[in-house]
Amino acid sequence: MSVAVSHISKRFETFAALRNVSLEVKTGELLALLGPSGSGKTTLLRIIAGLEIPDEGRISFVGEDVTEKSAYERKAGFVFQAYALFQHMTVFENIAFGLRVLPRKKRPNAQAVTKRVNELLELIQLPEFGHRFPSQLSGGQRQRVALARALAIEPRVLLLDEPFGALDAKVRKDLRNWLRHFHDQTHLTSLFVTHDQEEAFELADRVVVFNEGSIQQIGVPSELRQNPSNEFVRTFLEV
Amino acid sequence: MKRATSDHWLMRYLFIGVMFAFIVIFLIFPVCVVLIEALQGGLKFYFNTLLSTHSLTAIRLTLLVALAVVPLNTIFGICAAWAVTHFKFRGKGLLISLIEIPLWVSPVIGGLVFALLFGRRGWLGPWLDDHNIQILFAYPGIVLATAFVTFPFVARGLIPLMQAQGSAEEEAALTLGANGWQLFWRVSFPKIKWGVLYGMILCNARAMGEFGAVSVVAGNIEDQTNTMPLQIEQYYLNFGLPQAFTLASLLLILSVITLAIKIGLEWRRLAPNMARPH
Repeated sequence: MSVAVSHISKRFETFAALRNVSLEVKTGELLALLGPSGSGKTTLLRIIAGLEIPDEGRISFVGEDVTEKSAYERKAGFVFQAYALFQHMTVFENIAFGLRVLPRKKRPNAQAVTKRVNELLELIQLPEFGHRFPSQLSGGQRQRVALARALAIEPRVLLLDEPFGALDAKVRKDLRNWLRHFHDQTHLTSLFVTHDQEEAFELADRVVVFNEGSIQQIGVPSELRQNPSNEFVRTFLEV
Repeated sequence: MKRATSDHWLMRYLFIGVMFAFIVIFLIFPVCVVLIEALQGGLKFYFNTLLSTHSLTAIRLTLLVALAVVPLNTIFGICAAWAVTHFKFRGKGLLISLIEIPLWVSPVIGGLVFALLFGRRGWLGPWLDDHNIQILFAYPGIVLATAFVTFPFVARGLIPLMQAQGSAEEEAALTLGANGWQLFWRVSFPKIKWGVLYGMILCNARAMGEFGAVSVVAGNIEDQTNTMPLQIEQYYLNFGLPQAFTLASLLLILSVITLAIKIGLEWRRLAPNMARPH
């Protein structure tokens, strides 16, 4: 499997954000973390990326234990909820960032960077937008740039925090289809956080239902609908 | 709808008038007096005074002090603002208040603390004496006292700026594989560079003009430890009123230049998009 989360617990002062969470993500899988706000799903995503340190438990990527590694060593592709694009850089420079900060030996030359960034701009269907600044883009365009920036470093796993949360309904639908299509082509192991069950069910191969810091149920969409394991899942999914 | 209280013309003119009168009497008039008095003796006298040994040493010392203090407090200010905005720790609120101490206490007290610490009978005095290190009544002491007074200027401007910006872009840079050094220079610094420059300018203005703290630690040795403000006082006490005004006018000109740079920066910050290519 690509990502293994075992027995993760995390407290913020007195609030238990995660209680003994274990989860395995298969290689090439698109997994949704679904739950109400405050249920711990974003915290788990940030722990996987290395942006938060768990109190207990281990994280491994493709068999390698990365629990002690910092976020910059793990290099999980992370797409932030509010995109977190570098405001002072052009779209081109945003996408090139991950390549430019590589250690000298691995850093591609200027030509290779340009080639790679242009490929990614094609992929996100914004080939003419390289010279723009993030402030000159729409929400959906920013989201795609954030995705391209995360993909530039060829991450082993892609983590998306509420990827469609801030978009209007139409753009949301388009981008969702685009992401499903992208995943079908690349089979990059991906986890995304959402509070929208329709989104989770339509997009994901498997869905993990969260509540109050614990996993309530894991399963393929049809399974969850037919056999909710407890009262919370039943009510939350309105079966 | 018209609001009865705020729109009465008499009130408006009264308030604006009082404000202008205040500014003219307390700010513009003294500045004019300094400039006029400085030029009373003619241009030849003016330049002779500025080029005298007394004045030149003072100008040189003031610039050297600013040259040491501004980078010192800039580094400190960036570190402090970074710590406060990016790390969670106990006593953060206290730290922010502590940074502002030099704004609340009289500079003379700052100077006295250093005198107490490094003076001949002070805590570290005997040790420094044994090792032949001169801090009080010398350049290091003046730098320390000035650094104390100007300590909050960079940090104070940066903390709210960095808090408002949050850490999202820094986190993004981390997940893209940037190490701490790359993170700072490529992501954090470009976002705060105008704030840093602004703080440096304020710090510089205050450093060049500092009198109280420096006068305690400098010991008034003419041609050695007199900064510009101290030399102005020296001239004044020695009945050299025209000389005092001459040197004061130079300090004033430096302030006006600082003010002009500050206004220029504010324009730039208000219209950040105009500065961008495209």
